[in-house]
Amino acid sequence: MDPIQLLIICAQAGMLVNLMLIAAAYMVLAERKVAAWIQGRVGPNRVGPWGLFQSFADVFKLYLKEDVVPAAADYKFHALAPIISIAVAITIYAVIPWSGPLVTIDGHSYGLAMAPQMNVAILIILAMTSVGVYGVALAGWSSNNKYSLMGGLRSAAQMISYELSMGLAVIGVVLISGSLNLVEIINSQIANGWNIMYQPVAFLIFFVTSLAETNRAPFDLPEAEPELVGGYHTEYTGMKFGLLYLAEYASMLAAGAIMATLFLGGWDMIPFVDEAALLGLAPDSIPMVVLGHITFVSKALLMVFVFIWIRWSLPRFRYDQLMNLGWKVLLPLALANIAVTGICLLLFG
Amino acid sequence: MANVKTNTEAQRLTFWERIYLPEIARGMGLTFKQMLQPTFTRQYPEERWEPEGSYRGRPVLVLEDGKERCVACGLCSRVCPALAIEVRAAETTDDKERYPEKFEINMLRCIYCGFCEEVCPEEAIVMSKDYELVFGSQEEGILGKEKLLVPVAQLRDRLEFLRQWK
Amino acid sequence: MPQLIIDGRVLEVEPGKTIIEAAFENGITIPHFCWHPALSPDGNCRMCLVTVGAHKKDSDGALLYGDDGNPEVSWFPKKQIACATPVTDGMIVDSISKETVETQNAVMEFLLINHPLDCPICDEAGQCKLQEYALVHSKGKSRFDEEKVAKDKRVQLGPNIIFDGERCISCSRCIRFADEVAKQPVLTFVGRGDKVTITTFPDTTFDSPYSMNVIDICPVGALTSMDFRFKARVWEMSFTDSVCPGCARGCNISIGVMNNEVLRTEPVTNMHVNNYWMCDHGRLAVPTIVNNNRTSGPMIRRDGVLESVTWDEAIAATVERLKSFKPQEITILGSSLASNEDNYLLAKLAKEQLQTSNIDYIQHLSHDFGDDMLRVNETAPNAIGAHTAGIAVGTNGHGVAKLVDRIKHGDVKVLVVLEDSLDDFSDELAEASAGVEALIVLTSHTNLTAKQASILLPTTVFAETEGTFTNIHHRVQHFSPAVVTKDNERLMTMKQSRWDKFGAPNDRWSSGEKRDARPAWKIIQALCVGLGANYAFGSSGDVFNDMAHHLSGFKDMSYPSLKKHQGLILGKGNSPEKEEEVYQSHVMKPA
Ligand code: SF4
Ligand code: SF4
Ligand code: SF4
Ligand code: SF4
Ligand code: FES
Repeated sequence: MDPIQLLIICAQAGMLVNLMLIAAAYMVLAERKVAAWIQGRVGPNRVGPWGLFQSFADVFKLYLKEDVVPAAADYKFHALAPIISIAVAITIYAVIPWSGPLVTIDGHSYGLAMAPQMNVAILIILAMTSVGVYGVALAGWSSNNKYSLMGGLRSAAQMISYELSMGLAVIGVVLISGSLNLVEIINSQIANGWNIMYQPVAFLIFFVTSLAETNRAPFDLPEAEPELVGGYHTEYTGMKFGLLYLAEYASMLAAGAIMATLFLGGWDMIPFVDEAALLGLAPDSIPMVVLGHITFVSKALLMVFVFIWIRWSLPRFRYDQLMNLGWKVLLPLALANIAVTGICLLLFG
Repeated sequence: MANVKTNTEAQRLTFWERIYLPEIARGMGLTFKQMLQPTFTRQYPEERWEPEGSYRGRPVLVLEDGKERCVACGLCSRVCPALAIEVRAAETTDDKERYPEKFEINMLRCIYCGFCEEVCPEEAIVMSKDYELVFGSQEEGILGKEKLLVPVAQLRDRLEFLRQWK
Repeated sequence: MPQLIIDGRVLEVEPGKTIIEAAFENGITIPHFCWHPALSPDGNCRMCLVTVGAHKKDSDGALLYGDDGNPEVSWFPKKQIACATPVTDGMIVDSISKETVETQNAVMEFLLINHPLDCPICDEAGQCKLQEYALVHSKGKSRFDEEKVAKDKRVQLGPNIIFDGERCISCSRCIRFADEVAKQPVLTFVGRGDKVTITTFPDTTFDSPYSMNVIDICPVGALTSMDFRFKARVWEMSFTDSVCPGCARGCNISIGVMNNEVLRTEPVTNMHVNNYWMCDHGRLAVPTIVNNNRTSGPMIRRDGVLESVTWDEAIAATVERLKSFKPQEITILGSSLASNEDNYLLAKLAKEQLQTSNIDYIQHLSHDFGDDMLRVNETAPNAIGAHTAGIAVGTNGHGVAKLVDRIKHGDVKVLVVLEDSLDDFSDELAEASAGVEALIVLTSHTNLTAKQASILLPTTVFAETEGTFTNIHHRVQHFSPAVVTKDNERLMTMKQSRWDKFGAPNDRWSSGEKRDARPAWKIIQALCVGLGANYAFGSSGDVFNDMAHHLSGFKDMSYPSLKKHQGLILGKGNSPEKEEEVYQSHVMKPA
């Protein structure tokens, strides 16, 4: 690898991390605003116009806070847990095809995505979501607090249960697209129409499981405030708490982006329509790529909005309901979906 | 068990209700509609709310003709369920014979129940409209006579309310 | 003995009693204002109206009974006043029927016509007879639309008494008290009808040594005390039974305390000691004794100045001084101001631990304090007690009188003084005592001797601890703690006002000064233990039980029995006087 390439990749990575953190910060704001609107309130409106800088004020405050670690906590793991959580979220961002290639330098093309052409991108994503549970479980365990531990345990159980269905839901998509490469999947959708049309059940399953994987309502049992105080992050303060919090929103955006990639046609604007031809532009021209990027991000953010909207509409599941849904409904459904997809492919493919 | 009536979810709910999705969609629809409604929020420090006479804000002492009406009978102090009031009487040469040499309300104890106002035989302590109470320390929360005395002109609304409804 | 029926109860009473007395002795209270058992009946308030009748007889003289078996009664057409109608055999009295109560209600309405709406500023409120009866006998509304009569509201009747003409219900209790009990007949009614009021005869003032008792017996708040006026409402204070330390009579009193400050003293009825009364001297002295000029925190003299030290240091230093001198060089003064328990342990310290017989106490005798009512010339409360408890000159002992000479000869190296100020005995003694090598003072007040002390051990006064005094008639009487010190903070038996109960440390109204003083017996016990004794008395009660065990005079006595019988006579621990109904003019409700 020549130094220029390395430099560009580092710059790319730095940009992505920062954009992601800023995005997460604004998602926090969005969450509060949406919550406020649903409840007939105004929401944050004091810091900057329409409260736009509220999240920065919050982060600034979190930085200034004392970092309290319980005397009986395992300090090393206590500090490690937020790092794992945020690192996992960031790693997923690396394989997400944010846009097509924008520029070509020395024969390598670069877009906003870091490694869009990775062959096993889907496996990386599934692997990373599995690792994510370590962050939460460790946070709960190392705090040496029964409520935190309960939160951590719940989260571990919940993630393991829902990961299965999630993986199976993805298989449907892979069957249709015939690739684990995300760009390939997008291209096949551009050619044949979006996967959501062929795999609505898989989409539904994937959507529900990603709610559970990101610990979002109605599956936010790990932090169920009324029963567990704050769940796994009860004993976190300052920026460590901030990291756990940002990680949640970063995973949300990642989930939204993955759904956009797998089911919503990636950077395709309108299914079955060749937008480039319509606008009279070359498909790889810079305006098209930028337009595609905007489309992609809009789709991801739409999913994030739905996540938030759900949180302020639905009550939390009970633990047994959660497990029932995971094992008795989603898993059989996902299996059936694979079987049906396979048969259909055999018959009509 | 023959006469036990079961009432399971399956019996109570229709099929569509049981698969939840339509109900969830309805719920989401409701919250979405709510998002488009106007908000109720009042922008507090800029837009202040002016309470009605019936409002029970911080209890204050009525100042009339430069003197407190209070005769230091201690009934408010006795009736106060939170033990917020301390009254010390002393003699005056006025007709009312006694006045409160010390009158303190511990606003950290007060629960704004208005019992003191109700029991006062002199209509000397009334609930004001003042709802903005901020203290920098516990000591500051104990209000003495100088902070409690409010000219009767500012309390007209409440006094009228009491005349009419008490 | 005449037999009569009151409200359906058949009673047998001595002849010559009035209906109200007969009822009272048997636990029936008939509403009244002007009647007081110690005063002649006057019958002016009419509150005690009852229906009186006689059993009907037929022409043969046989008693007639109704169908239900109850006697048939021929009622007198007019209601009678219970306080001035003597009982006769066969009398039937009704004080609770609707008709009787309506009559009483009517009297109440009249009394209230001109009564001012003064309760909020009236010291009596909360223990007022008029308020009490108004609750039962009045509608809460007046039908009287005219102006009430205005009278003088601040008339000084005597040095300690202020009279409020509007509140007076003209019951004449105060006039009769002045005439009959205080024997200073200077009060009288003047004016007529609703203009009637009370005044002193020209050029006289009501300054009898017992004048302030009228404040207590006045059924309303017309008479208030110069001393206590407006200091507190009754319900804000806690009231603790105690014994007046003003003289050796030992009048039973109740001490009113608010925020750890004694505000007021009232007599408690004890027919064997003080009847219903106490003297003004005692009444005014009690708050002063407890509140003023007190010592707080132990001190040791170093380089000529008294410095504050901890209790442990002070006790250790005292023990060390006591150890470093021969017994004959130590002289101990008990005190007739201290309780039996204190003196008992001091005597034990002298006799058992130090083996010195140089022990005595200072007598407080006055020539003109006593009178033929309550006051006696012995002005310390517990001379008999100190003597009985063992503070008496032994065989080789020397009395206080010889003390000055002995100090001058250098025979006294250590002088232990309990409570007294030596200048009360003589100025020479006080002067001489400054010359001893160690002057160990256990006292509650910053008196001259306290100022001269080498080691000062602050003691509690009677109102801060539990204990007993033995009065001049050898009656052992119990007193309870009314005021909190740093030492007795957790005494569970103490009376508490609502403020005491619910006050938190940061409430200004419960932050009254708590003195750092200990009961003398506790200090003396610590000294004895330092000298090698193994005493382990946990409370005054333990000390008293030890006394009851070892001293014949206190045999069969204990705190509960003393409290129950309002005191017991020395040597007669097991034969208390017969218990009787005790009249209290008015008490706080709920008590
Ligand atoms: S409002 Fe209630 S709590 Fe407050 S001072 Fe008055 S009586 Fe006490
Ligand atoms: S009740 Fe009224 S008159 Fe009495 S002390 Fe309180 S404020 Fe004063
Ligand atoms: S005397 Fe009794 S009734 Fe009269 S004002 Fe005083 S407390 Fe009230
Ligand atoms: S002053 Fe009191 S005791 Fe004297 S007559 Fe009047 S009410 Fe009776
Ligand atoms: S008590 Fe009988 S008339 Fe007053």
